[in-house]
Amino acid sequence: MSGRYHRPHRWAWFLERPGYGRFMARELTGFFVAAYLVVLVVALGRLGDGEAAFAEWLAAVSGPGWTIAHVVALVAAVWHSVTWFAAVPQAMPLHLGERKLPAPLAAVVMGYGPWLTVTAAIVWWVMR
Amino acid sequence: MAAELTMTLEVFRYHPETDAGPRFQAFEVPYDEDWVVLDAINWIKDHVDGSLTHRWSCRMGVCGSCGMMVNGEPKLTCAAFLKDYFPRPIKVEPLVNFPVERDLVVSMDGFMEKLQAVKPYIIRDDVDDTSGGEYLQSPAELARYKQYSMCINCMLCYAACPVAGHEDEFLGPAALALGHRYNKDSRDRGQAERLDVMLVGEAIWGCTFVGECTVVCPKHVDPAGAIQQAKAVGAQEFFKRFVMPKGTGA
Repeated sequence: MSGRYHRPHRWAWFLERPGYGRFMARELTGFFVAAYLVVLVVALGRLGDGEAAFAEWLAAVSGPGWTIAHVVALVAAVWHSVTWFAAVPQAMPLHLGERKLPAPLAAVVMGYGPWLTVTAAIVWWVMR
Repeated sequence: MAAELTMTLEVFRYHPETDAGPRFQAFEVPYDEDWVVLDAINWIKDHVDGSLTHRWSCRMGVCGSCGMMVNGEPKLTCAAFLKDYFPRPIKVEPLVNFPVERDLVVSMDGFMEKLQAVKPYIIRDDVDDTSGGEYLQSPAELARYKQYSMCINCMLCYAACPVAGHEDEFLGPAALALGHRYNKDSRDRGQAERLDVMLVGEAIWGCTFVGECTVVCPKHVDPAGAIQQAKAVGAQEFFKRFVMPKGTGA
């Protein structure tokens, strides 16, 4: 008698369901967001070194490779943000009395709304 | 008279007395568009092979007994209609992430231990005192946890969770959702006791919010949401306990 059967661990578990793939994509986009934060920190550092240093840095990151990197980072950041905004109503449900706010509306109230407000404020501050 | 339509069920078989490992056995079953996968399995047991072992009871999505993998998807077999798969074969397996006892029956021991660990019942120290009457609760207070109280312990969420399959310390979606359900109940006073269990090691922190537990839940409980909310409560409690460790209060 061999007792209970234990299935072997699946190292490629993330290929087994589309949802697992979407989860991995969300997590991987975090790498690009983090990498771009490093780029921004370096940019701030060069800005602190003076106008000439910043201009030199700008010239260094204006090649086609950097353009592609910026586009990839933008797509990753948007994907990461959108998927997290979609998840926010699950983690922080909003109740009005007995009623739970529908998820799309809650995502606007807690995600897209503040995001657009802050973005608009920054654009206004820069452009004024 | 037209020939009776049939379809193929490939069924996971494992008998610990005789089998070193599992195998699949194909059965040809009558096709009826009103039948669910559970009907086909019962037909096999009644007409072809009485040794086929599976769990079932209510046939109406309430008891949570008949959860199995149907073509790789965790499903209540009483709610999985043959017509949604016909004429392709259907592969039926026991729920993944659980040890297999026999054929389509998994061991529930680990799940039951985790479920009991979160104390899924109302905890109060004044239960013997009924002089105040019922513990009143407003509809708004009920709405805070009602969704999480719909769990039927079918364990489909464990079969859909990649963490449950790799991390033994993780309490898992249903147990954590039920723990959260009682923590959110305005009549309950047991949150501290439950958090003592939920905040240990990977018990709750193992959850990476894959979210597939919510996708497969047949009762729309949203265990993934419950776990994230419980994590937020746990994080607040962690810092409270860090600032004011137990035993240092008045």
